[in-house]
Amino acid sequence: MNLCLAMQTAQAVSPDINFALIMPELLVSVAGVLVMLVDAFTRRSNQRWVTGLLSLVGLGAAAAVCVLMWDDQTTAREAFNGMIVLDRMRLSFTLVFLIVSALTVLISMIWVEWEHLPAGEFHSLLLFATVGMMFMASGGDLVIIFLGLELLSIATYVMAGFRRTDLRSNESSMKYFILGAFSSAFLLYGIALVYGGTSLLNGGAGTTNIKELALRVGAENALAYPALLYAGAALMLVGFGFKIATAPFHVWTPDVYEGAPTPVTAFMAAGPKASGFAAFMRVFLFGFPFIAATTNAAQLHSAWINALWLLAILTMSVGNLAALVQNNVKRMLAYSSIAHAGYALVGFVAAGQARDETLQSDAIAAVAFYLLAYAVMNLGAFAVVTLIARSGDRRTEIEDYNGIGFTAPALSFALTLFLLSLLGIPLTAGFMGKVMVFRAALDQGFVGLVVIGVLNTAISVYYYLRLIVVMFFRERSTAWSAPAVPVSVALAIIITVLGVFYLGIFPGQVLDAFRSAQPVVSQLK
Amino acid sequence: MLQRSLLTILVLLPVAGAIAAVAYGMAARRGETAAKWIALGFSTATFALSLLLLTGGGYADSAAFRFEQNLPWIGAIGARYHVGVDGISLWLVILTTLLVPISIVSSWHAVEKRPLAFYAFILLLESAMIGVFVSLDLLVFYLFFEASLVPMFFLIGVWGGERRIYAAAKFFIFTAVGSLLMLVGIIALYYIHLRQAGFGTFDYTTLLASLRSSQMVLGPDAQFWLFLAFAIAFAIKVPLFPFHTWLPDAHTEAPTAGSVILAGVLLKMGTYGLMRFNLALFPDASRYFAWVMITLAVIGIIYGALVAMVQPDVKRLVAYSSVSHMGFVVLGLFSFTEQGMQGSLYQMLNHGVSTGALFLLVGMIYERRHTRLISEFGGLAKPMPWFATLFVFASLSSVGLPILNGFIGEFLIMLGMWTSPALSQTWARVATMLAATGVIWAAVYMLWMLQRVLFGRVKNEKNKRLTDLNWREMGLLLPLLALMIYMGVYPRPFLNRSRAAVELVRSRVVATEGGGVIAER
Repeated sequence: MNLCLAMQTAQAVSPDINFALIMPELLVSVAGVLVMLVDAFTRRSNQRWVTGLLSLVGLGAAAAVCVLMWDDQTTAREAFNGMIVLDRMRLSFTLVFLIVSALTVLISMIWVEWEHLPAGEFHSLLLFATVGMMFMASGGDLVIIFLGLELLSIATYVMAGFRRTDLRSNESSMKYFILGAFSSAFLLYGIALVYGGTSLLNGGAGTTNIKELALRVGAENALAYPALLYAGAALMLVGFGFKIATAPFHVWTPDVYEGAPTPVTAFMAAGPKASGFAAFMRVFLFGFPFIAATTNAAQLHSAWINALWLLAILTMSVGNLAALVQNNVKRMLAYSSIAHAGYALVGFVAAGQARDETLQSDAIAAVAFYLLAYAVMNLGAFAVVTLIARSGDRRTEIEDYNGIGFTAPALSFALTLFLLSLLGIPLTAGFMGKVMVFRAALDQGFVGLVVIGVLNTAISVYYYLRLIVVMFFRERSTAWSAPAVPVSVALAIIITVLGVFYLGIFPGQVLDAFRSAQPVVSQLK
Repeated sequence: MLQRSLLTILVLLPVAGAIAAVAYGMAARRGETAAKWIALGFSTATFALSLLLLTGGGYADSAAFRFEQNLPWIGAIGARYHVGVDGISLWLVILTTLLVPISIVSSWHAVEKRPLAFYAFILLLESAMIGVFVSLDLLVFYLFFEASLVPMFFLIGVWGGERRIYAAAKFFIFTAVGSLLMLVGIIALYYIHLRQAGFGTFDYTTLLASLRSSQMVLGPDAQFWLFLAFAIAFAIKVPLFPFHTWLPDAHTEAPTAGSVILAGVLLKMGTYGLMRFNLALFPDASRYFAWVMITLAVIGIIYGALVAMVQPDVKRLVAYSSVSHMGFVVLGLFSFTEQGMQGSLYQMLNHGVSTGALFLLVGMIYERRHTRLISEFGGLAKPMPWFATLFVFASLSSVGLPILNGFIGEFLIMLGMWTSPALSQTWARVATMLAATGVIWAAVYMLWMLQRVLFGRVKNEKNKRLTDLNWREMGLLLPLLALMIYMGVYPRPFLNRSRAAVELVRSRVVATEGGGVIAER
């Protein structure tokens, strides 16, 4: 280890460039630039199809490269001096982001048309946000993770306010921007403190590399200011907590989700949340791991595990309890997304507690699977909500769903399926996701946490059922005609319905692919 | 081929029927009316195929599972798709496949609102119910157990009576919430097996084998919590007093077909689960909790009967009688004697047949009068002699008149309870005597209801012009009546086939490590 530290302090800089390792990110970035270019030379009426298709092609190509990288043992496991890493965790999360973005493209197609919004700009922003998410998963260094986060955030601020003439959209964008900037500052300050905290007694500079971070945390006697690590970790926890909307850092979520255009809300609830988890987990699991026979690392580890344990309970409970009293569907789904972040945190805590590498990678896979399941069912639900809301997001109150069940049976049954999946009824993706994270947590002995999670599921029965009851069991008093379903949205709904069943009935394949992740960083422990 | 995949076919055939009905309904113009024919066709085929289970042979001699199919399902967590039947589930599967076509025919004219969706949900429900009884993997079991809620929720909520929304939501919330803790229990079992036997499993037969060979030992604490997690889920389903409050609402508001299936099959999932999982997997805790379960069962028997007596609504009366009858089933299960447990299983079938018939009959007068209030009727025997005859018949079967099926079940249960090792001799006898009063109460509320509905002068003008049962309605009821007599006179074929499997469960509970019986209480 001393040798390692010495090498680091010697600052042996070689470029270590490996474009193959960032191929998916490159492809999506190129697609984003191309979309902007093509957009300028396309007739307005064709813009949304051309740029939409181009985006889908870019995302598809990136996904294909991802799959190719999956079992490739020969490629380097890291590049750019440890800035970029390659492991199953990164690939599985990247795949989740790509799926989220592709579905968002499909869902937003109709909306861009309704609102006469510039399609090309929207698609390129979406692609750049995706690149940001991908870097958050692939970054092996706090700096890369922060850059990815900012890239994602800035693109998303604009998307949230994309309907310029709508006050709610403006409000949403403004709130998201201010609070997002605030949380980024927390995160950045945390990174700075960690850098200071890892500086060495012998005058060696601190580090932002996650792998190096773990080594320094373990080498307690060599550190100049070990106490700074606690403050830094705490601030980073708050920063990430904001991004994935854990209680009590969730307050921005309902307002932002309600005001943003529905397809953007769908994206925000699924994508950035998943990328927040990817970065959060990588930093804390591999940067502040449990290291036997060290007081510093062990204390730090138990401190953040306890904090997350509490956050998980708070997040699940606050999300579900608040969702009970919502009368707006988007707001209800916003609180439900908070609750789901809480369930995913349960898996995160389990991964943090795991001493055994396979158990840990199983728990990480469980969280990734959970977020994938959540993304699929959530995007499906928002696709239906978008259609029912009509242009300008006018109809998003629960009242607006009164008795539409048999007037638009396909849409309503699809929405019912997504709600049941969010609730966690067997045969759906949501059920399997819950089984996986609860299983991981029980394995680490978190019985109380799991029981609270289950009781929270019991609470959530009420509000998910409420919407189903309103749709099917009530009669409609006012006239209502089913919205026409455009091809792209129909496609999105069909894909998500099939996805919900696929992940719910045959989760094995995906889980196996996500599992046996051998995170680079932990190999060195 | 058929041997191995018969059960899978039984589970999937109704789903295929539902898909076919929906596909045809969307494609063809008159698809909505064709739905009932498609549903009837598929459910009858399912029934016919389920009779093949009887050819398995040797149910009387061994408790082994037959028609087993065991395929890997989720490799990552060691869950397998494992199905099979033994003497316990055999009859419950056949009861399910019998009641579904009957309830479909019973809705022939009653369901005019959105028939396509109605029959599709009934078929989906059938799949889930068969799945519950045949699955031997705990995760698969839980899957079907929960999945059965959704179609029933829609059946009550869309096609139910006035307070259907309340009833449907209450039904769903009670049963879904109750079973969530069971999921935690199932996952906990997986890990206990992983720790002790070296690999995790959800497989019932593997778990049982590990328990029997002491590869896995569940300590008193583990058994205590696991028993509770499972028992609460099942007790709500049964429903055992005091978890019964959802049942009268759900039954009263559900459409006839829904009530028949709910009473006939869904409630049995609870008692089946208690027998299959609680008794066999957690024998020590079962003995420890026996007095609680027996007490609740006895309270349920008497309470259900007393409340049934004062109901103004016929359907609600039958619903409360279910609480009472299901109390008997639980009582028999926790008597830990062969007679008691066999009687329990038999009583599950009886209850399905007789209460199913009663709900059908109530549905028939409801179709004619659109009310179920006892005070609205009186003297129906005059305009509707066939109806009256069959109603008396089914009621007497429910009461437990000798030579009809109900008698055999209740008699066996009480016989078993009298000599039960679950309680001290005195308490066992006290419990039996208290339960026996339930039979008397049953006679009181049933006969009193019959008197007020069927006999006397026709007071209400509207009742004078009522038409008697038509051929369709008679055809629905006759198979059930035939079964009532057959099962009452000649129970051997039923009891014989279930004996070995029931005995296996019983031997799990009764044989303690010390060989003695229930010393710790």
